[in-house]
Amino acid sequence: MHIPDNYLSPSTCAVMAAVMVPVWAVAIKKVKKEVTKTKMPQLGIFAALSFLMMMFNVPLPGGTTGHAVGGTLIAILMGPSAACISVSVALMVQALLFGDGGILSFGANCFNMAFVLPFVGFYVYKFVKERFASKGGETAATILGSYFGIVVASLCAAVEFGIQPLLFTDAAGQALYCPYGLGVSIPAMVIPHLAVAGPVEVLFTLLIVNFVKKVSPDMIEEAPAKKTKSIWGLVLALICLSPIGLLASGTAWGEWGADELAGMTGYTPGGMKNEMGLKILIPDYSVSGMPEVMGYIVSAVLGVAILVIVFKLIGNVKKDDVGVPAQAK
Amino acid sequence: MEAMPEWLTAAEVYDPPTDKDRFIDKSILSFIGLISKIKQQSGREHDRLWVSPVFKLAFTILYIVLVSSTREFTFVYIMLTYIVLVLAALPAPDIRKCLRGALIATVFTYIILLPSALHGNSYSITMIPVKVFASITAVNILSYSTRWDHIIASLKRFHFPDMFIFVFDITIKYIVMLGEFALQMLYALKLRSVGHNKSKYGSIGGVGGTLFLKSRAMSEEMYSAMECRGFTGEYHVTDKFKFSVYDGVYCALNAGFIWMFVYFQNLA
Repeated sequence: MHIPDNYLSPSTCAVMAAVMVPVWAVAIKKVKKEVTKTKMPQLGIFAALSFLMMMFNVPLPGGTTGHAVGGTLIAILMGPSAACISVSVALMVQALLFGDGGILSFGANCFNMAFVLPFVGFYVYKFVKERFASKGGETAATILGSYFGIVVASLCAAVEFGIQPLLFTDAAGQALYCPYGLGVSIPAMVIPHLAVAGPVEVLFTLLIVNFVKKVSPDMIEEAPAKKTKSIWGLVLALICLSPIGLLASGTAWGEWGADELAGMTGYTPGGMKNEMGLKILIPDYSVSGMPEVMGYIVSAVLGVAILVIVFKLIGNVKKDDVGVPAQAK
Repeated sequence: MEAMPEWLTAAEVYDPPTDKDRFIDKSILSFIGLISKIKQQSGREHDRLWVSPVFKLAFTILYIVLVSSTREFTFVYIMLTYIVLVLAALPAPDIRKCLRGALIATVFTYIILLPSALHGNSYSITMIPVKVFASITAVNILSYSTRWDHIIASLKRFHFPDMFIFVFDITIKYIVMLGEFALQMLYALKLRSVGHNKSKYGSIGGVGGTLFLKSRAMSEEMYSAMECRGFTGEYHVTDKFKFSVYDGVYCALNAGFIWMFVYFQNLA
């Protein structure tokens, strides 16, 4: 999932790096609270560990092998904030010293693998674990967490690739960076992760978490007993960040004329179809008198609000389910 | 003296059932490759290409930014020529290693872009693979021509916090230490894997899990050792930067590249 340089435009890379700055700041603050300044050497050793976890070959059926990223694993073992920092340092070592993953695209790679992957993975893990407090529930939590973590991270990478031909084309309408739109990039990135990389990640995470639990159960970092409200924060942040990224890239969302679309469909018909579909999905998009940029922000806020409502309703139903037998007793 | 028991004299035919355990070999190879790469470059006494690592790092990033931003093939071509020229100044084994990674990525990029080229997008297929090759070669030249501790120390000049440099340095050292530890476990696993290994997953989980526990133990030990030596949480990186004649020439050359980039931008 390491994005090399020149697949993303420098402005996208700058936006992704800018997005990571507050994430790193918050992660460092959180880690500092848990790890005292004098215990800082730990972070270096954990970064080395996250680097090495990516080197393991996991046996797959038929004698083949596969690689895992191990982001969720690191998050389960030592908390998502520490995972964010150590995976970022590991990615920096890879980019700067091993030529693996781009230098400009470092921010984007960190966003996908050091932020989205461990945080989504960890909070899905925590969410499931809290609701099903049995051994099986914990296993299910590990499986779902690591699977969702890597799949959502690959989706983010796919979106980063997919917006390139929409935003950056030359006068002739030819893409300057990754030429494939969302219609191509999403299936191309997400399907292999759903089918192969996801299960490998699940297998690797499960094996190591189970081993550590069996051998030394107190070693697994217990996150503070805060309820998983922060997952809504994450969902909110993810939704808010993508439009900001698009806006900061200098092109307003939805400004493409029909002729531009036609010019682009010459080689990315799938992606364009998708975009047209989006426009139809949001008919209120060009409210008269409202700039399109505003329209996009408003629809993002609306999207967030709808999601919160849906999740709250689901949460409420769940609470009622739990409440009834307790009262009956 | 008693005669040797018969079973001792009979030739034993033991043909262990074959098993597909390539994951052990592959893991061993990737760990060896990693550790040898770090050890090789840290064994060097001097950096190659006499320029200060501060400038090397800064201008390598500059090349990547310029190459990525430009739309002019001529400019990419000039940068590529320069990068290949610098590559030619390295010894043969380093050239081979630099090229290997860059060529794999370039061929991969070609394959990825082929469908888009068949649909008439000629720009991507001519530009992006060349840009990818130039960028990766530039980073590889930096990585193979400079000691990594020098690169890390040069981050100080870019106002990276000392603590970050410290963590980065520890990371490299412990990649080797933990990597060697993992390697020993993998050797042990390889030696014991005779015949059919029914619990391959248990094995890999054990190696990975033990590695995590070892990392926890190592970090405790390291912290205690540092505290014993008076570590208070403050870490200062000393800055040994000196501006040489070579640095001057190098900076002038790079100013030329920036001028050229601007010139081609205006031309477009």
